[in-house]
Amino acid sequence: MSKITSIILLLAVVFIALFGSTITFGNELDNLQYPPLNKIEIPKVEKVTLDNGIRLYFIEDKSLPIFEAQVRINCGGYLEPADKIGLATICGQVMRIGGTQKWSGDELDELLEGIGGGVETSIDRTSGWASVSLLSDYTDLGLEVLAQVLRNPVFNEDKIELAKIQERTQISRRNDDPFPITFREFRKKIYGADSPYARQTEYATINAITRDDLIEFHKTYYQPQNIQIAICGDFNQKDVLKKIEKYFGDWQKSEAKVPPPPKVDYTYANKIYYIEQKDAPQANIMIGHIGGFTLDKDYPARIVMNNILGGSFGSRLVDNVRSKEGLAYETSGRYSDNVEFPGMFYAYALTKNETISKALTEMIKQVKSMQIDTATVQEMKFGKDGYLNSFVFNFDNKTEIINRIMTYDRYGLPEDFLFKSKEAVEGVTASDVVAAALKNLHPDEMQIVVLGDKDKFDVPLEQLGFGEVITVDITIPSGEVKTDLDVTPEKIAKGKQVMMAAINAHGGADNFAKIKSISAKGTATFITPAGEMPFVVESIEQYPDKACTKVIMMGQEMCDIVNGDKGWQTGQDGKLAPKSAADIADSKLDQLRDMVHIFKGIDEPIYQPVYDGEGEFGGAVIEYVILLDQNSKKICRLGFNKADNTIVSSSYWGKSAFGEGNIEETYENMTVFDGVKIPALVKKSLDGQPFSKFAISEYKINQVIPANIFEAN
Amino acid sequence: MGKNRFRVLLVILALSAAMVSSSSAFDFTKIEKQVSEKTLDNGLKIIVLERHDVPVASFITFANVGGVDEPKGYSGLAHMFEHMAFKGTKTIGTKDINTELKLIAVEDSVYMLLRSERLKGNLADSAKLVAVEQAYDKARNDSYEYIIPNEYSQIVKREGGVGLNAGTGKDQTVYLSSYPSNKAELWMAMESDRFSDPVFREMYKERDVIMEERRESLEASPFGRLLDELVSAAYKAHPYGIPLIGHASDIRNFTREEAIAFFKTYYVPSNMVVSIAGDVNPDDIFKLADKYFSKIPYSPKPEPVTIIEPPQKGERRVLLKDPAQPLFAAAYHIPEGTNPDWPAIEALADYYGGGRTSLLYKKLVKEKKIAAEVGSWPGYPANKYPSLFVIYAVPTPGSSLEEIEQDIYTELDKIKNEPISPEDLNKIKARAKMNFINGLRDNIGMAIQLAAYQTTYGNWHQMFKELDKINALTADDIKAVANKYFSEDNRTVVVMETEKN
Repeated sequence: MSKITSIILLLAVVFIALFGSTITFGNELDNLQYPPLNKIEIPKVEKVTLDNGIRLYFIEDKSLPIFEAQVRINCGGYLEPADKIGLATICGQVMRIGGTQKWSGDELDELLEGIGGGVETSIDRTSGWASVSLLSDYTDLGLEVLAQVLRNPVFNEDKIELAKIQERTQISRRNDDPFPITFREFRKKIYGADSPYARQTEYATINAITRDDLIEFHKTYYQPQNIQIAICGDFNQKDVLKKIEKYFGDWQKSEAKVPPPPKVDYTYANKIYYIEQKDAPQANIMIGHIGGFTLDKDYPARIVMNNILGGSFGSRLVDNVRSKEGLAYETSGRYSDNVEFPGMFYAYALTKNETISKALTEMIKQVKSMQIDTATVQEMKFGKDGYLNSFVFNFDNKTEIINRIMTYDRYGLPEDFLFKSKEAVEGVTASDVVAAALKNLHPDEMQIVVLGDKDKFDVPLEQLGFGEVITVDITIPSGEVKTDLDVTPEKIAKGKQVMMAAINAHGGADNFAKIKSISAKGTATFITPAGEMPFVVESIEQYPDKACTKVIMMGQEMCDIVNGDKGWQTGQDGKLAPKSAADIADSKLDQLRDMVHIFKGIDEPIYQPVYDGEGEFGGAVIEYVILLDQNSKKICRLGFNKADNTIVSSSYWGKSAFGEGNIEETYENMTVFDGVKIPALVKKSLDGQPFSKFAISEYKINQVIPANIFEAN
Repeated sequence: MGKNRFRVLLVILALSAAMVSSSSAFDFTKIEKQVSEKTLDNGLKIIVLERHDVPVASFITFANVGGVDEPKGYSGLAHMFEHMAFKGTKTIGTKDINTELKLIAVEDSVYMLLRSERLKGNLADSAKLVAVEQAYDKARNDSYEYIIPNEYSQIVKREGGVGLNAGTGKDQTVYLSSYPSNKAELWMAMESDRFSDPVFREMYKERDVIMEERRESLEASPFGRLLDELVSAAYKAHPYGIPLIGHASDIRNFTREEAIAFFKTYYVPSNMVVSIAGDVNPDDIFKLADKYFSKIPYSPKPEPVTIIEPPQKGERRVLLKDPAQPLFAAAYHIPEGTNPDWPAIEALADYYGGGRTSLLYKKLVKEKKIAAEVGSWPGYPANKYPSLFVIYAVPTPGSSLEEIEQDIYTELDKIKNEPISPEDLNKIKARAKMNFINGLRDNIGMAIQLAAYQTTYGNWHQMFKELDKINALTADDIKAVANKYFSEDNRTVVVMETEKN
């Protein structure tokens, strides 16, 4: 049955093919006559430079009652130190949200939203930016706010914290969306993972940023000679210039020079990288290498080359990878450029795991084809005439026009660069395109980044002929402050010595050995930006491994129990529920960090004290000891006052009610109970931000413990 | 705090008092007067906004058809057709149309054999399946021999067209492009051709492309997954609850015959609006439209969707275990966009979750720092029919989703219990005005808005009355809608919790 069907079909096809080819169609579209295009009125851009070096650009546009300004500042993330990545981004954000000398950030929000307008600031890798957009009635206010945020930001601590939390949120979510992962890792392969053009923020680099850093960064680069302001909209230039003089005129220029963005060292290589994402429903491919500069001689030929290679329907990548093979919805490729540092050449496709090698092979084939297959007449029409015929769209948006002029000025490009490029494109031939591809594309030396689930790939990556597959680990590093600890017998001996002195200062080993349990009562307070939130705490610790903590918050009692390898916690329904394995592990770590637990058990193998030098805290000299566990993993870092050997602090990486981070506990109000000295006030901070204090009103040692208190019943 | 706020108010009041210049005096009717319209004999409405400052124009075809109109088992078909509209016509995209059409017919008949065999599932005859698959591959390759791939788009691009694109929604499908203004006739010729004489070439291969689009936009996106759960839980009956991109199994089983039937029912002149904005002369445009679009025959306007979502009787909650970091979304049923309550709902959305001074942003982002992002918007997934008001939050690391959810409701209760202040009401109006003015900027945005208002209200003039509706609102109006629609029983919640595979 099946055979017969296919034979009949085969016959039918042949039959049609024989007769079909004789019919041809003329395309009536070719006969359309177009009227000449109306004249392009290119709006005049007025340029003014203030005495202090601020460069101004104006285009008047009365069509709508809007006032807009775009500001560009010579600076960028490339100027931030490598251990404070994110400094520029946060600086750019907090300039606006953190408020100014005249208005707080919240006041600015009210003020601007109250008139439906906006003033925003930011800093990216290579530029600082500011923008104003509001009804032209408020031009004066807009310029005053702009001057305030550029000149007098106050870098409010609370808003710095807000910006940091936003950054941490982004870090925590950066592996949730597949394509941005692929793009970011590809970028690292082109510019280098530590390059200012590819590096990314980490918890540690965000945590390291201080308010002083932001003030310093702003002071260094936000100087009038580094600033360009482009103004567009419904205004009178003379009036606006007067207002700008009023708000910016007395700003004195500085002598500081902005270092240029660094150069890029790139070596061509043929390598394949794999990012494992078992959950991803779709694989990603990105291939390419370093790109070029805007002022390269063959820039015009590359415009045509890019159009023919990838981007829109009709390009080789889209026609083949998407339309012909149905391998991807999203596929594109281009050779990009910058003025000051090289762009990238890249091509990408998003395809299912099962067609990854097919898509990759097809993509490479199309890149290669640019060097081999001379562009057809149709392709030249598409790639070159398309650019020329759509040239008028460079002038349909006045904001774009003025931004372009500002950009040219910034990088020293001639003002007629666009027109010169157009003239040059007019002369580009199909062989120029092949020459540009031969010169700029290196299809046999590409970095290949693949994301997906290798178990589902149609062909194992190892068999594709690109050599050894290099796995890229994208695990997000925790923000733990790493101290380089060189463990020597001397340091262990000194650590032990400091610990013993501390135990003596707190009442002696014998008194600690007598402690079987401690019952404590007190008031804890959460410190939140919204205010302080007090609650009552009662806890019973039975050494070595049992604890029960009761908390009464807003009339509701909650309980947390640890009992060896078991544990329970009050759930949403008010009933005790078993804790997860991860939570129990955290609780056990907390027990290990308990002061009494440490002092009682300092001779146990679980504690390895290692001396970590001296420091200063609250005017006193502090000796630090790092406690390692038997696997040399850090438990905490303790600080002791050198003068009287008492404990002053403990810091560690851990979880709090306000998230995971570097937690520091400080101990105050030392009080003696049954011969041992215990702090009656414990303060805690997370990444430098205080979040809780616990004032103990009652300590009882070796009390009778109610039956079954460490069980869930 | 109270004092600070007062200082800002003083500045705003001072500014308003001093306001003598342009924007208060700006005459919006000037733009309204630059709009002309004409209806062709076949029922097609043409709207033209004349603006001569730059010799370019934007061209829109607004089809009053979307995901809601799909028959059961064909979810995603409206979007599929949108893709097919770029595949060309009988004169564009083919080397030889007669041969191609015959080969397409062969491809179809073999495909139908393959389809029915595949649908047998376990009971399929495997030998037969292989044979039919081979025959089908051959038939498809044969028909593709006659294709000039993407010729339609190539012509647009080489003639200087930019922004050629289309978007499918639950309510409508919009086709857009911009050209140097002297190429208006080219657009007329090509656009009229694809809606009178389309050829659904490469249809079966295109389903693979759409499957990739589905993976990218829905399956690989945490927000895509969140919102998909939200709508499907919120709607029991109405097709707003079905994913716009379509169920995977529906996409895989589309047939060309069904796509053509869908096209013939919904892509009729009485159900479409053409809208053009830019450097064009309306009379020339109307003449050209008559010349090119009149060839599409009249056909009655298709019926709207008759399904009515029954009232929700209690909160619906979905716990979504997902590899991504946690997210929160909630939705309340609200009426369709033409309902008189709609402006108050829009105002509520702005006040509640619109900007940096909205209730949600102030409480969850600025003050408590438990959310990195929070917002509310009315009209998801569309609003021709009764719709959803969506609230979402992106928690900061370690924040409690319960606390976020509780705060979201507490802030909402404020709107229910207290009328909003006159300053906040003015702020909403100021923001609405700025939004409206921003919407007038570019040709493409104007062309879309004119077509959308024409389609929704049968009258594009409505676009210029929207601001009056917002300006007429009182604090009581906003309080009233808060109490009318935002009840617990009318709520659907999706909580996304992290669970790595």
